[in-house]
Amino acid sequence: MASDSKLERSRVWYSRLLGFYPQRFRDRFAEGMEQTFADVYRERRAAGRGVTGFVFGAFAETFIGILVQHVEQMRSSSMTRDTSGVLKTVRLGAIGLALLLVCGIVTVMVLARGTGEDITGVVAPALLLVIVSAVVAVVTTVAAKRAGNHGASRP
Amino acid sequence: MLRVVPPKTHAPLTPAVLHILLALAAEERHGYGIMKQVQADSGGQVTMGPGTLYGSLNRMLDAGLIRESARRVDPEMDDERRIYYRISALGQTTLKAELERYRRVLTVAQQSHIVGKGVAYGQ
Repeated sequence: MASDSKLERSRVWYSRLLGFYPQRFRDRFAEGMEQTFADVYRERRAAGRGVTGFVFGAFAETFIGILVQHVEQMRSSSMTRDTSGVLKTVRLGAIGLALLLVCGIVTVMVLARGTGEDITGVVAPALLLVIVSAVVAVVTTVAAKRAGNHGASRP
Repeated sequence: MLRVVPPKTHAPLTPAVLHILLALAAEERHGYGIMKQVQADSGGQVTMGPGTLYGSLNRMLDAGLIRESARRVDPEMDDERRIYYRISALGQTTLKAELERYRRVLTVAQQSHIVGKGVAYGQ
């Protein structure tokens, strides 16, 4: 019984991990993957082999699989000109760059405090890039929403 | 001038895809069944986790090498309904082409005395 509750707990966590797959893949395989995970778990337990190593291995292998599927989806979406996917990637990139630059600016300002050093030459271009990134993020968000609405209104 | 274009068979295949096609060549199987058969066919030398197995199944379905069959309960297991997979006509052609390629490679290796006759896994 205790082992069954362990299996159920592992299965629930595995199912949560499967939620990170791209939706198309998830819809197609999540149920089967969860069943296969539970089948191998039961088989190992019945054979008296350890399950901890299997659980960690399966989680690590599945995590790599999730990354691979996302990369494959991004590649195929750019090949099929799936605009919403490309816009989403650009938006995430712009937000990431903006956050990185803000962190950099704050660090430079903290380090330069009290030294009297002129940091305008560093901060001004970085701030400009932050603004540009923010504008790109906003524009891509609006464009993605429009593309989504346009796609939804099509038959 | 006429040119003979060989059929598109996706060969050469990755080891995972080759073993999955081999496992499905005889009968339809669900994910766990494929995993077990691959392990048995390779004498335990090829093992794949759910991530590798279903990643390969995804690519094989997209390439038309396999098809999904009806969802049903495996009488030898629990009462959960499982998706079964079967090899397609293209999958069979591809598997034959790949095995033929392997046969030719093995013949060359035997002629060069790199391997002996009756080569199997781990020998």
